[in-house]
Amino acid sequence: MKKLINSLLVFYSLRFSKTITYMLQVSEYKPGKYFKWFWTTDDFSKVITRQQLVNTPRSKTIMSGINFGIAIEILAGLVLIVLGFLNKLVGGIYFGFAVIIAYPIIWSQLIGFFVFFARILIINPDEKKKISNSKDIFSKTKAKKIAVLGSYGKTSMKELLSSVLSRSLNVVATPGNMNVAISHARFAAKLTGNEDVVIIEYGEGAPGDIAKFALNTKPDIAVITGLSPAHLDEYKTLEAAAKDIFSISKFVDDKNIYVNLDSKETNKYITKTQNGYSSEGALGYKVSDVNNSLSGISFTLTKGDKKLKVKSKLIGRHQIAPLSLVATLALNLGMKKEDVEKGLSETTAYEHRMKPRDLNGATIIDDTYNGNLEGVRAGTKLLKEVDARRKIYVTPGLVDQGSMNKIVHNEMGELIADAKPDIVVLMKNSVTNFIKEGLHKGEYKGELIVEEDPLHFYNNLASFTASGDVVLMQNDWTDIYK
Amino acid sequence: METVAVIFGGKSAEHDISIITAISTIIKPLELTKKYNVLPVYITKSGEWYCDSKLKDIYNYTKKDISETLKKIKPITLDLNNGLTLIKTSKFGKSERIKVDVAFPSMHGTYGEDGTLMGVLEMANVPFIGCDTAASAVAMNKVLSKKVAESSGISVVNYHDFTKAEYLANPEEVVKAVAKKLKYPLFIKPAHLGSSIGISKAKDEVELKNAIEVAAFYDDLILVEEEVKNLVEVTLPIIGNDKLTPAFLEKPLTQAEDFFDFDTKYLRNGKNSAKSGAKGSQGYSEVPAKLEKKLYDEAVNVGLSVYKAIGLSGISRVDMLIDSKTNKIYFNEVNPLPGGLYIHNWIKSGISNAEMVDKLIELAKEKFNAKASVNTKFTTSYLRQF
Repeated sequence: MKKLINSLLVFYSLRFSKTITYMLQVSEYKPGKYFKWFWTTDDFSKVITRQQLVNTPRSKTIMSGINFGIAIEILAGLVLIVLGFLNKLVGGIYFGFAVIIAYPIIWSQLIGFFVFFARILIINPDEKKKISNSKDIFSKTKAKKIAVLGSYGKTSMKELLSSVLSRSLNVVATPGNMNVAISHARFAAKLTGNEDVVIIEYGEGAPGDIAKFALNTKPDIAVITGLSPAHLDEYKTLEAAAKDIFSISKFVDDKNIYVNLDSKETNKYITKTQNGYSSEGALGYKVSDVNNSLSGISFTLTKGDKKLKVKSKLIGRHQIAPLSLVATLALNLGMKKEDVEKGLSETTAYEHRMKPRDLNGATIIDDTYNGNLEGVRAGTKLLKEVDARRKIYVTPGLVDQGSMNKIVHNEMGELIADAKPDIVVLMKNSVTNFIKEGLHKGEYKGELIVEEDPLHFYNNLASFTASGDVVLMQNDWTDIYK
Repeated sequence: METVAVIFGGKSAEHDISIITAISTIIKPLELTKKYNVLPVYITKSGEWYCDSKLKDIYNYTKKDISETLKKIKPITLDLNNGLTLIKTSKFGKSERIKVDVAFPSMHGTYGEDGTLMGVLEMANVPFIGCDTAASAVAMNKVLSKKVAESSGISVVNYHDFTKAEYLANPEEVVKAVAKKLKYPLFIKPAHLGSSIGISKAKDEVELKNAIEVAAFYDDLILVEEEVKNLVEVTLPIIGNDKLTPAFLEKPLTQAEDFFDFDTKYLRNGKNSAKSGAKGSQGYSEVPAKLEKKLYDEAVNVGLSVYKAIGLSGISRVDMLIDSKTNKIYFNEVNPLPGGLYIHNWIKSGISNAEMVDKLIELAKEKFNAKASVNTKFTTSYLRQF
């Protein structure tokens, strides 16, 4: 009842148009996602919790459109009521009231359809044109084009390649996690033609995406960072996702494809002519003398009498494979050993990706952009390995796991249990029980806290930790997920 | 789930500090543990008791006038029969009884930290956090705590004490007695107040008289102390009943000629805010204090000895003064409910705020159970003779 009252208060207040616009924005203006969210929301007062509406030309237009539509509808309702009174038409009066009362439902649905048609009639043709133009730019550039693809670790690999190769080469890379066709097209428009290396991240989300991206960008080299259940709401099975990712071999010569073999699943799909890299080595170089701590990782790469000292502020053993590949690939591209070593030493954790920070003597490892099981595997392995007064693991779980939701979260629970944290904090949502089942199966003996208000927990983290604690925070759900 | 009543506010000059301690370092961490049903019990400056979830929100005290919020709530009444029960009455006259499993006093100064509230809680026979009535009363009386420490062989600086009535009756006589016994510069303190309220420094007779008047404004017992030369101030937060756990010895980063007045402690984040050090509830300080190991260990032992001598339990903080030339350690005063629980120090020592409040509840229950095992019933035939 309280939720219904709260929702009605939102519907019939100035917050209505803002809430609806926010839902559309967070749904990436995809009507299907938006409608699903709208019809599964039971308390609209809690919709805007984790983020805020970002004012963009698109969001401003939508919000103004909703407000304008509502004003017209209320005006029409009032006219009907007045006419009903003047003409003594009771039905007209009732209808007028009904028109006014119905505005939240009408405009919350109408706007979804407007966005749908706007996408078909305006946005899609415009994007198609830009993507088509980008094909030419990518074809004409003399730079080596490296495609970075996989279910996880793409942004980190891209950043790593970029920061090491740019020690001696002119390197550009797709910004942030802008990794779909239209982002590639916008990126292409900024290329000058003077680049030595162009790195393009492929953010696959549905079958056929990789082929589409490759056709446009025409890569010379491809790095497959790993395979893990992700976007299964679209791919349905891991096999379908793997097939899509490995379809890159139709566009890039096998000898220029590098596959992360630390990822269990990739071993099933790699061909004999493709190159594997792992925490044991890359491109003929072998890894030895590994030293791993919360302040970084170091190891030696050896091939015959060639030696390379790798030292990075990235944390976790799962970083050995990508660091090895980047180091050896850089050498293959003609970089000097000293430049490679210097470049690697300057690599540091990226925002929200296994980034350690100090909180009154406690170490908080922020891995809140990690959204896949392989990331959980890497994080829990690190947690198991480090020394700490208390080890605390915090997560809401993973999203978009489709039909594998239960299996993935059961496994996640077992991985967490295996790391033996003193405290596990789960943000309460639809997957909490699956993680709990996994914890139980993994015979977890520590303290389990189920937090209903993630913001309350994050805001009070300083009260929860003390000097010597290590807190690993993996993934964070936006308002759209429940 | 156990119900914990956090009692704060009260008729004290340290009312506002009590609110911050309660909300930020007790209520929020207690809620984070997910183990307790936390009730905020707020006592107004005029002594009315309220209990409502709105009172957990700091916004109601900092951005609004709390009296506006209180207008919408009815005061509660207490039932002390066989435990502590809060009786809340709704606007429509419906009453609700909430039995309290553990009380968590978060009141600084008079009517709270001085044993008054503890007396009520002991009468109610409910476990509560912190020292009992007697220890709180001694701890909050700077004169009495010095006398108890002295009698246990712990050094204190030369001091003189007198009542406000004695001073008002014959100010010249009192000033003469002070001058005869002590050497300037002197520190003049109200005997019962914490948070450095009413403390002044006097370099001569004129300043002394002014300082006494300031102290007498706040208290009816006044303490005058000699200054310690080559001063290093240190403080030691301690928790425990019989088995004690000290935090780090902490050194406030003040200049020798300075002392921590209220503004320095709470309003300016410390006088030396630009300097390095831990920023705690009392501004900047050095945690742990950089002293040679022998002196550090000695100071910790003095702190623990004071804790035991006064009979403190639960949590307290012992302040000490060190003459850095002679390495002599003097007990200064004790604080039975340190502002903000001195949590910045405990966090550095490896106890989080959530763990701390949880531990304090365990200690409260331990003390309560130990006391319950003591027989208070004694049958006599005394009444039969009448």
